[in-house]
Amino acid sequence: MFKRGILTAALTLATLTFAGNAPAQTLSYADAVTKLAADCGTDIQKLCKGLNLGSGRIADCLQQNAAKVSPTCKGSLTSVFQSITQREHAQTAYERVCQRDMSKSCSGIKGDGFVLACLVKKEKRVSKECNQVITDAGWR
Amino acid sequence: MKRLISKAILVLATGVLFSGFASAQEVSQERIVKGLGKLRAAAPAIDLEILRQEAINGGNQPMSALPNWKRIGKLPQMVVEIDFENDSVAIQPNSYRTLGLIADALHHPNLWDYKFLVVGHASATGDEKHNLDLSEQRAAAIKEALSTTFAVDPARLYAVGVGEHLPIEGTDVKGSNNRRVQLINLGVFKIKS
Repeated sequence: MFKRGILTAALTLATLTFAGNAPAQTLSYADAVTKLAADCGTDIQKLCKGLNLGSGRIADCLQQNAAKVSPTCKGSLTSVFQSITQREHAQTAYERVCQRDMSKSCSGIKGDGFVLACLVKKEKRVSKECNQVITDAGWR
Repeated sequence: MKRLISKAILVLATGVLFSGFASAQEVSQERIVKGLGKLRAAAPAIDLEILRQEAINGGNQPMSALPNWKRIGKLPQMVVEIDFENDSVAIQPNSYRTLGLIADALHHPNLWDYKFLVVGHASATGDEKHNLDLSEQRAAAIKEALSTTFAVDPARLYAVGVGEHLPIEGTDVKGSNNRRVQLINLGVFKIKS
């Protein structure tokens, strides 16, 4: 009884800590599009039949048919869009944010891929901002 | 009817999977980054029209028998499976993930300096000219999706369709494994300062 109580308390605490501190992982394009296919697949087949992925056709169609789109799909669209935007921002900002760490910890290394690998390896010495941008960019 | 068609394609896809071909589900971002990133020497300059004509005029010879394609064949590349609706350029939702994986890989610093060629292939069933046109349109549809929905710079992407003309060496030209998309690293797109 007592044990279970502690466990529950620990779990609650863990959940709180997780929700409070850890920033949400950004989604990869692959996971984003998989989530959309799962949550909006039925709506897309029903409302946007024959439309191909690309040039915003499916997003436009869902928007035009907003009244008929399921709440699950709407929720996913919003969260997926936010997450992907965050990841794109991180990928764009990476070279600027990590510039100092690159010259401090990985100078002399040639090639963007190798520089990134160096920063990832030296995570403990790299600034908090740069580490966060690498995580948000999905490159860890 | 439509459900039946997609089921048939699913069965086909499963068949491909068991015959040992890399299926969409087996492909990971890491594998794409590694597989496409091994460019060690300068890539040859390419001309899409020359490649297209060489494929068409070459009959059903494999890539290695055609001089320009042979050079391309030595570049880092991989075959991906992207399913389309029957006789259409519409990419099936079950292949959206594969496109997403490719996009994630192309946005990675290991690959972001490179340009890529998307080659659409068909199996030798049905009309040859129709297959050629459809493979061309499908390769273009992949390029379009990657460069809009998945934000890959369109200047980094080239698309060409070769219909049934470049079958995999030693396979049945009508086999479903010849219905495929090839992704080839064409070398540095720009030198970053």
